[in-house]
Amino acid sequence: MKTTLQRAAAAVLFTLGCNSTPAPGAPAPAPVTPAVDAGAVAPRSTEITPTPVTAIPGHELIPQDRAPKEPPRLMPAETLIRSYISLFGGLSPQALQVRLRGATSDNLFDTWGDYLSALGVPDYGVDIPRAPQTNALMLAAFERIGVALCERAVQNDLRGAVAVTDRVLFRFELPAGARALTDEEFATRFDLLHRRVLGYPAALAPDSRVPRFRALYQGAVARHADAGARSFNGPEAGWASVCEGLVRHPEFHLY
Amino acid sequence: MDTRRRTFLKVLGGASAAGLASQPLFRAFADPPVASDEFFVLIHANGGWDVTLSLDPRNERRGIIEPGSTDTIDTAPIRRWRDAPLDADSSTFEIIRPAGSSLRLGPAIGDLADMPDRLTVINGLAMNTVSHPDGTFFAATGRHLAGGKPVAASVDTMLANEFGRASLLPTVSVGYPSTYVGEDLDARVSPLRVGSVDTLSKMLNRSNVNTTAADRQAVTALLTEESRDLAARSWYRDEIEGFGLQLEALPRMLSPDVQQIFNATALAAAQPTLFPTGRRYQARAGVNCAFAVEAMKRNLVRCVSFASASHDTHNNNYRNQALIQQELFDTIAALVRALDAAPHPTRTGRRLADHTHILVVSDFCRTPQINLTLGRDHYPNGSALVISPRFVGNTSFGRADDDQLLPASAGMFADGNRAVAPPDLLATFVSAFGVNPRRYLRDGDVIRSLLRA
Repeated sequence: MKTTLQRAAAAVLFTLGCNSTPAPGAPAPAPVTPAVDAGAVAPRSTEITPTPVTAIPGHELIPQDRAPKEPPRLMPAETLIRSYISLFGGLSPQALQVRLRGATSDNLFDTWGDYLSALGVPDYGVDIPRAPQTNALMLAAFERIGVALCERAVQNDLRGAVAVTDRVLFRFELPAGARALTDEEFATRFDLLHRRVLGYPAALAPDSRVPRFRALYQGAVARHADAGARSFNGPEAGWASVCEGLVRHPEFHLY
Repeated sequence: MDTRRRTFLKVLGGASAAGLASQPLFRAFADPPVASDEFFVLIHANGGWDVTLSLDPRNERRGIIEPGSTDTIDTAPIRRWRDAPLDADSSTFEIIRPAGSSLRLGPAIGDLADMPDRLTVINGLAMNTVSHPDGTFFAATGRHLAGGKPVAASVDTMLANEFGRASLLPTVSVGYPSTYVGEDLDARVSPLRVGSVDTLSKMLNRSNVNTTAADRQAVTALLTEESRDLAARSWYRDEIEGFGLQLEALPRMLSPDVQQIFNATALAAAQPTLFPTGRRYQARAGVNCAFAVEAMKRNLVRCVSFASASHDTHNNNYRNQALIQQELFDTIAALVRALDAAPHPTRTGRRLADHTHILVVSDFCRTPQINLTLGRDHYPNGSALVISPRFVGNTSFGRADDDQLLPASAGMFADGNRAVAPPDLLATFVSAFGVNPRRYLRDGDVIRSLLRA
């Protein structure tokens, strides 16, 4: 059965062919039967009556998408930094910087000022405009900042004795002891993070997302199975990796 | 209506093919790199230089030209300044004519006077502007600004798009007027624009206290796969594909070898000749040139572009114009020597200098008159310098007139007898490497006489 589009295309081609002007002096062409499906051209006698959209069943439930369609754009760096601040405790930039630097010399973070140019913030003092696209260095900065944010969140939420409701990011409990998470337990917790960082349920993401992040989590858990006291244990490293995967995700940076 | 069905279908088919070819993967297959062993250093002499002291020397009063003199220039630090009579109480300089060369150079040319056979000088460039932004982007893109915005890709982006798609860093741009504008540009070649190369080292530091490099690489690998999947589902895929390709490059970016080239101390140790003591104006140019040599030795970068310290001397600071230029040209000479001493990363037995091409331009030049505050203002003429094994050395092309220093006819171009202009220079530069200039440049003729056979 032909679709409306196919029928319209056939009608256009048919019309173009009929409107060709014969060369001067050429014999008139013999009438030919158009080699198109008669059903492709609406009979003249058929009157098309307009139908209000509200009469189409279910239409009232489907909002019409009038947004202009454009390629994904890079989130402005200021918005990105505001998102970091909002997601990881809602502190002032300076207070978050102090938290990210930490009391120990673990070299997780420097200062926001050290990262601004790599994040694409314009610097009109030296005529550097806003970076409109990502580049390799910007992605290195995303990693540097993402690692600091997530590892500090793990230290605060999962290492400290903080009530679930007071946690910065990981607002869920881990199983007691060293028991591994079942797939369902992982998916529930991952969905919480996915909603918080990327803004929509993991169930609406491509099917590969949850298994892929689960494999990432399990890999980190395995690598840190016999970690020392100072380094993250398995679940801590696993959730830090999942967090990094979300705050460095292309959906987090492009819109 | 005279449209024939066959014509209509041909057009329809052609449009579909063009649409397919514009997708990045098809582009990659359709346009293989012409060559990938060439490197480029693009330098913008910021602020508009006074060419009468170097590339287009003038040492006599003629027309409206007032030459640089001991009244207006601090000559003590200018090594090649030799007094020539001008007035009863002031002197100008002697023109430098390197042995065995027909080039005429001014005293601010510095150590470049020792290598005339490598210099290709373009004089009388018709800049047609006295606005810094307009001149800057005209010199780099071959197009004047439109509505205050650049409308074409800059030369470093053009070259990176042709030769740098597989490089870890196609273009590192340190204050250079790099633009990424145009339809046929690969997402990978967006210039990496930074204020200085050595401040980047902090971005590449990583802590292994809580997690390890293996953990971070696992995250990067996951994100690369996610990007690939998202791109496959997207209609507009360039941005997400670019994101994925940059993720793939990240592990190499974080290797210790790469971190060295973003560290000024390590660069100074590797290239001490580019860090002489006593530089007042162009110390950053030395860092940028050392970065270029070290990054190219490791085959990490295709183009390094940077802007020098400002030559914008409207007032009494004009006294330092010759020194600002001398330091820049000395740095370029040291760069050339460093390239001579560096092995090519992929061509056994060849030097980097055999495959590295340097282009130096400026916004415009400065007025032939000295103004009331003893400086020189903006003037719509210009000069450029090319140091490239693909160009005929010991050569000067184009000229500015004798009385007013305005661009004079350089010969017959496709659109008539006229002065040489930045689009001609850029078209000639990119065509030296087999690039069709029309792919990027609306205007400009290739000047064949400047290219080696």
